[in-house]
Amino acid sequence: MESLSETRWHAVIQGTGLQHSLLALALSRSDKKILHVDQNEYYGAADAAFSLQEVDGWVEKVKGDSDEAPFRNAALWKADADDSTDSQQLSFSRAYTLTLSPQIIYTKSKLLALLVSSKVYRQLEFQAVGNWWLYNEADEEPLKRMPNGREDIFQDKSIDNRAKRSLMKFLKFVVDYENQTEVWEAHGDSSLQEFLSSQFQLPPRLQTVIAALTLSFDSPDKIAVRWALPRIARHLTSMGIFGPGFGAVLPKWGGGAEIAQVACRAGAVGGGVYVLGTAVENSHAIEPTEEEIPEEKFSLSLSNGETVRTRHYVSAEDTTAADGIVVSKVIAVVSSPLPSIFASSTEGSPLAAVSVVVFPPNSFSQEGVSPTHPVYIMVHSSETGECPVGQCVLYASTQYTKNSKVVLETTISKFLETSKDNVKLLYSVYYEQQKVPGTSPLDLAFDDQILDNVEEQWKTVLGYGDAEEHPPFMQFADREGMNADDDNDDEY
Amino acid sequence: MAEATAPKPSSSVKLVLLGEAAVGKSSLVLRFVNNDFQENKEPTIGAAFLTQKCNLPTRTIKFEIWDTAGQERFASLAPMYYRNAQSALVVYDLTKPTSLIKAKHWVAELQRQASPGIVIALVGNKLDLTNESSGSGNALGDDSETDAAEGENDDGDARKVSTAEAKSYAEEEGLLFFETSAKNGTNVTEVFTAIANAIPETSLKGARGPGATQSSANRTEDQSRVNLTGPRDSASKEGCAC
Repeated sequence: MESLSETRWHAVIQGTGLQHSLLALALSRSDKKILHVDQNEYYGAADAAFSLQEVDGWVEKVKGDSDEAPFRNAALWKADADDSTDSQQLSFSRAYTLTLSPQIIYTKSKLLALLVSSKVYRQLEFQAVGNWWLYNEADEEPLKRMPNGREDIFQDKSIDNRAKRSLMKFLKFVVDYENQTEVWEAHGDSSLQEFLSSQFQLPPRLQTVIAALTLSFDSPDKIAVRWALPRIARHLTSMGIFGPGFGAVLPKWGGGAEIAQVACRAGAVGGGVYVLGTAVENSHAIEPTEEEIPEEKFSLSLSNGETVRTRHYVSAEDTTAADGIVVSKVIAVVSSPLPSIFASSTEGSPLAAVSVVVFPPNSFSQEGVSPTHPVYIMVHSSETGECPVGQCVLYASTQYTKNSKVVLETTISKFLETSKDNVKLLYSVYYEQQKVPGTSPLDLAFDDQILDNVEEQWKTVLGYGDAEEHPPFMQFADREGMNADDDNDDEY
Repeated sequence: MAEATAPKPSSSVKLVLLGEAAVGKSSLVLRFVNNDFQENKEPTIGAAFLTQKCNLPTRTIKFEIWDTAGQERFASLAPMYYRNAQSALVVYDLTKPTSLIKAKHWVAELQRQASPGIVIALVGNKLDLTNESSGSGNALGDDSETDAAEGENDDGDARKVSTAEAKSYAEEEGLLFFETSAKNGTNVTEVFTAIANAIPETSLKGARGPGATQSSANRTEDQSRVNLTGPRDSASKEGCAC
């Protein structure tokens, strides 16, 4: 192969996070010369997945007030080893795949359609995000399954008939909110809480349920109606699309991290050159001279000492311009398969590999610690391939405050108390993550905006104008050597 | 879940192809997949993903083969290829001793980073450049080992890595071992069949990689799997992503 400097690149992409990896996938059939670099020795950037050993290295880098934006203040805790049984202890490093990118993907998301049309879905295994739970310490059973549909609501004895009618009215409205602007447009900037109360007479308890579906890091009195309605509608209309009882999926082996790798593999199969551990240190425009107007517009200095010329340069997300939103997160490994959390309530539904547990603001108070913002725990079973059988991985997150670390730790112990088993915390990593423009890694569900960004970048790199005819975005035929009739091979 | 009509269980096995540039990785795959050989093949660029079925008496294995696409220099494709791979083919050129050193580096890297339990085959390619008519391989039984490295070069024997040396290394590390010729086809199918046979039953059926290897036998695998190209049940087709 020619050296990097000798090649006249069509595009250089820096960073292998989800968005840039999807761009590599989109460009994988363009026959353009693509160089994809990442400053890290691993794929995925802020969407990476790690073994325990790799977490150690990562924590070293992002502990304290490091400049490793978007992460900071990482801290690691491990239970002491003792003589208990295997599942009661932390296993070996590579038995774990802990992901920085556990976002669920609603079945309505365009991402799934594009993974199918680009044919890379065959390299992925999707699992159901099945059960949603709501915590309230004041209840006899603090952890309550959230209604999955109308039948559940009808059968729920804790909701009185008047409230049931109000709820039905709201659900009917919200799945059609785009056509019913007269109902909400005037209240677009009001809070969801006020809207549900004044327009639909929903009792506070049901307001909490509805707010949980938005996966907002703000409390219900701070969520704008305009922002909340599409998210609630997305949740409700995603139910049942790929089977009963669930409305979202997650790829096995690390969620977004796995998609990023699969997309980069497609980029490599298409001829893209991949170089890890190499950053673009600076870029400057190549000025036209009298003799030559160069096709390559950028000259990039790489950290490996080489200088490359390229027509297009897609830089890493600008991590310096973070806009102030910070989320606190904990990844925890626990010593139980937590069977009740994953048990199905809907006939014929796949076994949930991921369950969502929502702790609304003030849903508990312990020694002065009480959540001021919603806390979410995504519980991943060993079916996800992220931990050994007999254990689970918890991904907890809440908006950053002075107390958020303690709040997350207390929330996790409150959650573990609801299990009948004696569940031990084996491992936990705390960190803070800032919002980075151009991506939305802080969202707990995959944001389709990322796809719009990718499509824009794809058009720019390939020079497709808006009005021009161009090939459809990420619609690829099967590659030679891949037999389409192998589709059903995995059924037995 | 088993279909009564299904003739044999079929499972996909991810295989990553590693080794120094120009040892014949792509040629081995080309021989295996298409039973073809190209003299003076250009270095691989792109299109480095191929599939091929391997029929065993009790099951069918579909290999998903990932080639490092001529980018060995950057060593950056391998990490994403061997992630969750159940098998690896580490190739050296038996006329080039440095390529065995590189192969040993790859074996060490796999043992450190890849899924525990990955099946690794060490393959010395370009047997056609030696004087031997057939190669050695542990699946072939006990070929008498001739230390061909010495004394035969004047017969046009280009071998520089002895069978004994590579084989004893493979035994130490618990690797399958073969000497092949992608050009003549010697031992090529045998390598893939041996790998297919060595994949433990427990790591098949979608359960691949860490965490899944010890899954309890009485639990049906894939209970949580979601099929994106069609709803499992009679749920509405309109919402389908295809």
